[in-house]
Amino acid sequence: MAEQEKLVILATHGPASAELATIPFVMAGAALASDVEVVIGLQGDAVHLAHVGEAEPVNAPGFPPLAKLMGDFRELGGKLLVCGPCANSRGIADALVDGAEIVAAGRFVAEITSAKASLSY
Amino acid sequence: MDAVATLDLTTLAADKVVDARGAACPGPLLEAKKGMGTVPVGGVIEIWSTDPVTKVDIAAWAGKVGHESLGYLAGEGYDRVFVRRGK
Repeated sequence: MAEQEKLVILATHGPASAELATIPFVMAGAALASDVEVVIGLQGDAVHLAHVGEAEPVNAPGFPPLAKLMGDFRELGGKLLVCGPCANSRGIADALVDGAEIVAAGRFVAEITSAKASLSY
Repeated sequence: MDAVATLDLTTLAADKVVDARGAACPGPLLEAKKGMGTVPVGGVIEIWSTDPVTKVDIAAWAGKVGHESLGYLAGEGYDRVFVRRGK
């Protein structure tokens, strides 16, 4: 049986950039529907998306609400990694959404180098 | 209604209709995946979508994951996209 493909998506845009905060989860949804394993890594301001409640009001025109996309992502088995230093410096590391995992650079590198492809936003 | 396929889709009875009208990308694709899980291999699902890109997106998805894109019917205000489960 062929090994499952993996896609890593690095996101750096937070709630203030609704469209660019949303698109990584749009791509992730399409990949998960295509039986591709997906890891999303949140870095910089994007860590706010994993802070409880901050994704709720994000609704970019033309796209589903971000909270809906993040719910689908989790339901379909997507893995959500959060940059530890980024979350700590913003004081949000203790209040992350279910399923979010705090990691550091080494884990990001391991995920990327074991993936078939990676995208950065 | 215009038929845009080599099969006569107008007479094809789908095993499952997935109503994704009003859903934005990637909603119709996610709904198609869920719907496909409810029909047996060889079964056909019909996705309704108001997003004009869905018919292209679903065809690409079907090719990627091993299903058969059968084409679509252009209806009034939405497309009816047909896919046969391949695995």
